[in-house]
Amino acid sequence: MKKVVMGNHAVSYGVRASEVKVISAYPVTPQTHIVELLSELVANGEIDAKFIKVESEHSAMAACVGASAAGSRTFTATSSQGLLLMTEMLHWAVGARLPIVLTNVNRAIGPPWSIWTDQNDSLSMRDVGWIQIYCESNQETQDAIPQAFKIAEEINLPVMLVLDAFFLSHTYEIVDLLETEQVRDFLPPYNPEIKLDTNDPHSFGNLSGPDYYMELRYMIEEAMNDARGVIKRVGKEFGEHFGRYYDMVVPYRCDDADLILVTSGTVASTTRAVIDEMRDEGIKIGALKIRVLRPFPFKEVSDILCSTKKVAVLDRNISFGNHGVFFQEVKSALYGKTDIPIIGYILGLGGRDVTPKVIREVADKAIKDKNPEPYINWIGVKR
Amino acid sequence: MREARIPTEELMGSGHLACQGCGATIAMRFALKALGSKTILVIPACCWAVIDGTFPHSAVDVPIFHTAFETAAVTAAGVKAGLEMRGDFETTVVAWAGDGGTFDIGLQALSGTAERNDDIIYVCYDNEAYMNTGIQRSSSTPVGAWTTTTPVTNYKTRPKKNMIDIMAAHAIPYIATASVAYPEDLIRKFKKAKAIKGTKYIQILAPCPTGWKLSPELTIWAGRKAVTSKVYPMLEITENGNKLTVWKDFEATSFKEYIKPQGRFRHLKENEIEKIGKDVESSWQRLLAREKMLASIPGLEA
Amino acid sequence: MSKQIKFDSYREMPIRSMTLDNMLWNKTGSWRNVKPVYDNKVSPCILGCPAGENIQHYIQLVIDKKYKEAWETIIESNPMPAVTGRVCSHPCMGKCTRGDYDEAVNINAIERTLGDMGIDNPGWMRESEKTKKQKVAVIGSGPAGLSAAFYLARAGYSVTLYETEKALGGVLRWGIPEYRLPNCVLDGVIESILNSGPISVKTETVVGKEIKLKELEDNFDAIFIGIGLMESRKLGISNEDCEGVESGLEYLKRVNSGDNLDSSKKTVVIGGGNTAMDVARSALRKGSDVTVVYRRTQAEMPAIASEIEEAEKEGVNFRFLAAPKEIVAEGGKLSKVLFQEMELGEPDESGRRRPVPLEGKTFTMEVGRLFTAIGERADLDGFGPEVDTEWDLIKVNGEFGETNKKNIFAGGDIVTGAASVVEAVAAGRKAAEKIIRVFIGEADPPKQEETEFGIENINVDYFTKSNRTLNPRISVEEAKKGFEEILTGFDEQLLQKEVDRCFSCGVCNYCDNCWVYCPDTAIVRKDDRYEIDYDYCKGCLVCVEECPRSALSIEEEGK
Repeated sequence: MKKVVMGNHAVSYGVRASEVKVISAYPVTPQTHIVELLSELVANGEIDAKFIKVESEHSAMAACVGASAAGSRTFTATSSQGLLLMTEMLHWAVGARLPIVLTNVNRAIGPPWSIWTDQNDSLSMRDVGWIQIYCESNQETQDAIPQAFKIAEEINLPVMLVLDAFFLSHTYEIVDLLETEQVRDFLPPYNPEIKLDTNDPHSFGNLSGPDYYMELRYMIEEAMNDARGVIKRVGKEFGEHFGRYYDMVVPYRCDDADLILVTSGTVASTTRAVIDEMRDEGIKIGALKIRVLRPFPFKEVSDILCSTKKVAVLDRNISFGNHGVFFQEVKSALYGKTDIPIIGYILGLGGRDVTPKVIREVADKAIKDKNPEPYINWIGVKR
Repeated sequence: MREARIPTEELMGSGHLACQGCGATIAMRFALKALGSKTILVIPACCWAVIDGTFPHSAVDVPIFHTAFETAAVTAAGVKAGLEMRGDFETTVVAWAGDGGTFDIGLQALSGTAERNDDIIYVCYDNEAYMNTGIQRSSSTPVGAWTTTTPVTNYKTRPKKNMIDIMAAHAIPYIATASVAYPEDLIRKFKKAKAIKGTKYIQILAPCPTGWKLSPELTIWAGRKAVTSKVYPMLEITENGNKLTVWKDFEATSFKEYIKPQGRFRHLKENEIEKIGKDVESSWQRLLAREKMLASIPGLEA
Repeated sequence: MSKQIKFDSYREMPIRSMTLDNMLWNKTGSWRNVKPVYDNKVSPCILGCPAGENIQHYIQLVIDKKYKEAWETIIESNPMPAVTGRVCSHPCMGKCTRGDYDEAVNINAIERTLGDMGIDNPGWMRESEKTKKQKVAVIGSGPAGLSAAFYLARAGYSVTLYETEKALGGVLRWGIPEYRLPNCVLDGVIESILNSGPISVKTETVVGKEIKLKELEDNFDAIFIGIGLMESRKLGISNEDCEGVESGLEYLKRVNSGDNLDSSKKTVVIGGGNTAMDVARSALRKGSDVTVVYRRTQAEMPAIASEIEEAEKEGVNFRFLAAPKEIVAEGGKLSKVLFQEMELGEPDESGRRRPVPLEGKTFTMEVGRLFTAIGERADLDGFGPEVDTEWDLIKVNGEFGETNKKNIFAGGDIVTGAASVVEAVAAGRKAAEKIIRVFIGEADPPKQEETEFGIENINVDYFTKSNRTLNPRISVEEAKKGFEEILTGFDEQLLQKEVDRCFSCGVCNYCDNCWVYCPDTAIVRKDDRYEIDYDYCKGCLVCVEECPRSALSIEEEGK
């Protein structure tokens, strides 16, 4: 059923379709609509779940950790400061190998207070061990939920779905809403073999000396590596069920491009419009959307980017002292594979609009720019 | 077989990593005897994060989920929700935290859980300092006590936080204190808590020979004298905070006797001991007065 | 016993930190430098009992309502608890640790209750057959003789019991009034002893007259002499043989025989022991105005304190610090007694202060009857010179009653001088046991080690103060009217109330404390004991500290 819904609500409908059993969340702009609708759906019985309305995001993730450890499918949503407060428990979910799904609405971090989008919140969780998937449309924010559970439950790692504040969260689009019955074929109910169970008592998270900690970490990394194949397969299976296919990366008109703009989130759609415009002008340009940041799609990224002559990475984030995060990631993916220039651009922080004009400016500049000098190109900073 | 004073089922086995004479361990043994095998424990950072054993071994025969320091209550609430959504309404979920994880860092999550009245038993085994990290003061550390962060030249001058009053303010269905020195009472309280739906808070005085600088054989002695000297009253709060029952049927002993074998109080001078002893008596009187006051309000229990 | 799980490869590991086994591989016993051990002590009451009754044990059995087993426990050391439960001076209670806490446990009343149960349940007594060839003659059927006969017969030896009188019991029958020890109780006790094994009785047989000691020596493998002291000591003053002066013992014997005595005269009893009290109170019951005259003060009186108290309550008068100096007779009949006033001087060998005459201070009393009760002596006519004597008593070597003749043994008052019933019972048993050891050629057992045990060995936190449960009684007014037994005895409820007060000093009574409080789950609770699992005991000693009764001790590791 197609319906015009805001991005946040698309998330809630994705949760409804995924037969989530325990939800725990705390209000934070601009995520709040997600949990508001979920509260309603739980209250009216559309979702058969318990909703633990906690006193903080830290507790929200703790509740999810507990519920997931008890063997129930678990979801939460947050944003920015809330995600940061959760940090400790995000690590806990990984170490405990719990398939929790979290939707994070990208929002800038204070101070100063800002409620508008950028990616620094989720990217500061880059190294925690969560799978990170960046969404571009309301349809995708919904579709990502059952896929995320399927992936998480297969590899026993949590999945963070990311969408831009306001540009998606508060923006209404037509979404083909998933029905629970349809999804059940794709995503069967969660029934893990290992869980907190008095009939099969195990303790989880006991003290481990240096003997085995490393092996346990190694296995998390192994799971992350396995996740590459799983994410691709699940994206394909989802397509087979619902006609919408998903992959690790989405290339656009890259085949003969001399310059490829690397993007993520909503900037990707704007960029595609600019690509079309520039292609019309005869400029050989393409775009590569990175959908999955963790595990990083090294092969897909290098396969596509090695065929071009120059790469420009658009980062709606800043890793102070070392450029944008996507820039770092792309560069490391291409290390030793090509000599082409890779140039990074920082833009759109704190919700500053990334319009086609801004992207065109980046593209024009990228065409001119030589090898990455200066290292950090700030777009639109009032100097 | 002779009838045993307490249940014979042993869900806490030998080989665990607790210090000699550990009160927290005795508390666990009693609690599990009361609760039985259909119990899941959620344990944050505290001595019990270590006592249980090293991966992949556990001295406890019920499932344990080790969680982060400040999250015992809410993780337990999550576990309970997760179990119920799987159709398990029978298992008792217990958050089992130390005083640091309760009075200090875990207070927020505990407050949230209590306010929601999530169906768990929250246990604070109170050894009155951060013992696992090496005896640092917590807000449960009693006035006058030495810890590694309250050296004798600057010992703790603020009273122990009144956690019971804080919990009572949440109007939860059951609150109790217990002591390892009174196993039958402790077990009775756990059984009572188990039968009640909602958030139950039980605070167990668990003397710590290591941290109290107390000879290990005196663990139970200390747990008893703390009660009979009125330092650690045994009480129950029921009727959602409206009924207070204080145990008074004991032969009172002196505060001085209680602290005497505890090295953590050794630096106290005679006049300081007297002053603290008086404060102990005042707190006791206040408690009795409240018990009477609550009992005198008609219709409150409804 | 689990083994520590070790992984050689991550492939063997669970993907998350998850436990797969218990911690039993971790033998925390290695942390220990001292260890607790179960180490029962001998309770002070047992050490206080001349017969060595296992008091602690039978009280614990009573708590478990194992009355037969409790009775059997007493019978191991004393065949007449119904008697001692009435007339014993209960030194056990003087040793009772509870006495230093609130009041000693009323062991005496508990013993009596069990003794009475034994009489009410004749089936409890195990009957022994003659299984051994040796025969033993027991002379005297007082507490020593009955006790010796009982333990010998119980072991299968045939016993012939010789008694001067026509009824058995000796001092129990003739020397103790019925209000303390009713004849029916004594008869019950004697019957149970006689029925317990191969014992034949020869009454009205005086050794030395009807039968000579030599004959007994020829016909028996061993002889036990337990003839007691049945003659009263004389005052050694003038007119002692006049009418109206009588030995207290004789009087008691006549009272106990049911003679209808006229005592309605002013009566004076000389002496401060139990016999004096018995005589005074018996005469009182016969209608006399009775005064006990004692040469020291009440504090030095050898009589059981409660007997003195009872006598006072009943109206017996006391005149202390006075001794008869002269009996004035008129026409061969007692009329007055002149008394010398005394004061207390230096302590004598008994530790009591010696009475010294106050020069020139005397007084005279009109007396209708004078009873002497200043001590008893033996009639050793039938035994000398074969058996060595000393101070008119039979001389024995050691604690088992061995005389100079290897097949002759003796015990009771005839050896010790006037002592208690329980001491006589003990002497009879010990001699019987020695005789048996001689028969079978066994060495004497090692002496029981005396252990110090006091209130400091009791964790009093586990007890609440309570008063001793008193043996119910008839009123003083009722008591004075006749010879009805004064103390009526415990019912089961009172019995249970009182046994519950026992500390069980030094002896594990399975209170579970050690097992309950063990932080290391290292104490295993068995049906009849506890075991410490030293693989895991960390040596915290909580069990030792929390044992209410010091039934655990501490041992250093490596010793």
